[in-house]
Amino acid sequence: MNHEVGCAMREDYNKDVPLIMHIDLNSCFATVEQQARVMLRNKPVAVVNRRTDQTMIVTASYEAKAAGVKLGTKLKDARKLCPGLIGVESDPAKYRYVYHKLLDIMNDYSAHVTMKSIDEGVIDFTQAPQAIVDRGLESIGIEIKQRLRDEIGIAMRCNVGIATNRFLAKMAASLHKPDGLDIITHENLREVFGTLTLQDLTGIAERNAHRLESVGIMTPLQFLDADARVLHDMVFGGIVGEQWHQRLRGWEVDDVATTVKRVGRQYVLDDFNLSFDEILQRLHHLCESVGGRMRKQGLSARGIYVGTRTFGMKGDKRRNYWHASYVSMSPFFSDKTIYSLARHLFVQAPPNIRDINVHVYLLQDHEPSQASLFADQIARERSVVDAIDELNDRYGEHTIHSADTLRTSPFVKTKIPFGSTRYL
Amino acid sequence: MDSEIFLNERIDVLAKFGTGLNPCVPIKFRRANGREVAITDIGLRHPTMQGKRAVHVFDVTDGSSDYRIELDCERLTWMLTRMGDAI
Repeated sequence: MNHEVGCAMREDYNKDVPLIMHIDLNSCFATVEQQARVMLRNKPVAVVNRRTDQTMIVTASYEAKAAGVKLGTKLKDARKLCPGLIGVESDPAKYRYVYHKLLDIMNDYSAHVTMKSIDEGVIDFTQAPQAIVDRGLESIGIEIKQRLRDEIGIAMRCNVGIATNRFLAKMAASLHKPDGLDIITHENLREVFGTLTLQDLTGIAERNAHRLESVGIMTPLQFLDADARVLHDMVFGGIVGEQWHQRLRGWEVDDVATTVKRVGRQYVLDDFNLSFDEILQRLHHLCESVGGRMRKQGLSARGIYVGTRTFGMKGDKRRNYWHASYVSMSPFFSDKTIYSLARHLFVQAPPNIRDINVHVYLLQDHEPSQASLFADQIARERSVVDAIDELNDRYGEHTIHSADTLRTSPFVKTKIPFGSTRYL
Repeated sequence: MDSEIFLNERIDVLAKFGTGLNPCVPIKFRRANGREVAITDIGLRHPTMQGKRAVHVFDVTDGSSDYRIELDCERLTWMLTRMGDAI
């Protein structure tokens, strides 16, 4: 292995003025619930997606976290840790409102704002007017915190991190939760890294930590001091290693625009004893939801993927995965076609289904780029689909839908998609 | 789950409309059974769309229970849709 490491590699730390600000509403959903419902304040709260004890916790308030409640814990298990825990069903409309308020506030300071998810965003001040920069990002961070309290409510808190790149800014925002404001510069970089473990670094989870440990890199400081060639050749096996080398030193490598590559939804069955027909109805509902989201982006698809996780045999806790996919010659966009293709694949799924996952890919513009032999038929289908979408826009989601999904709405509710702000 | 009751009850509301960040401030409301609830704090006000109809949702409290009241901007009606106690 003798790869040449990129010639633009910089060995020194980035000594520029830190102009990237990361804002993170930690425990966002729980904090918003505590803001909205005054009686929940200063109490351990867990936000869940369903009103059952078996459901997983989506967000826990700081009071609940202090009692050991973690995300992903089942509500009934969390109650053993924290007997007074209050389960609250998620309310996406409220979180969307707070997201838009936060976005409005951030947009007041720079034209270069990127929301990374529903509860965090980045303000890039590198091209901001000098007057804004002269104020100092620390004072702007304090002002944003105050504006959140003034414009949304007094229970709202956020963490602000300031650094020379997105990675370090996010790290800074996680140093003192809740309501922290930290700045990482080349001067305190080593000091900050000295207080962290490898898995405290954003992007370093169990597998990457094992990779690093396998070459003797046990701490963030050792990671920082590691040679770019070692990271490239021995740890990450490619350009990712070089990116880490630069990222840790404060150079920007994560300012990358992303495009929509797939649109999908996943659903854990509300009852594991459903008949196959009832599961198909839920799949149908998901297909309608996926179709609507895809068309809202002005896209149609050529590929469809259907996957499930199934329970193993009795006593076998391993979960089995099954999936199937299909690529069509011509693009499709209607809910009817999506469901027809998904159903065709899904009938091969094994029994004991736990959840279903459907997404479409190979996306392209909804408007046809070339004439088709079936142009009339496609035009008719498009007219019907457009009319249904317009009615659903006017009167609310899932107003017009297939009779097959008449009874599924109470179960297959739209929840907040983490990691994507496309549908907010 | 916490004790939350879902309702769809038409209510009379006394509200103050003014300027500033919170131009509409509900002060008290009277339920269908005649009981009056004095609002001591507004937790959050957020707009939602029911189709193309805008509805402003107010999460409020009287100091002992939380209530959700909704102002339908098209019909100019107020509804009590939820009440809950955090026990």
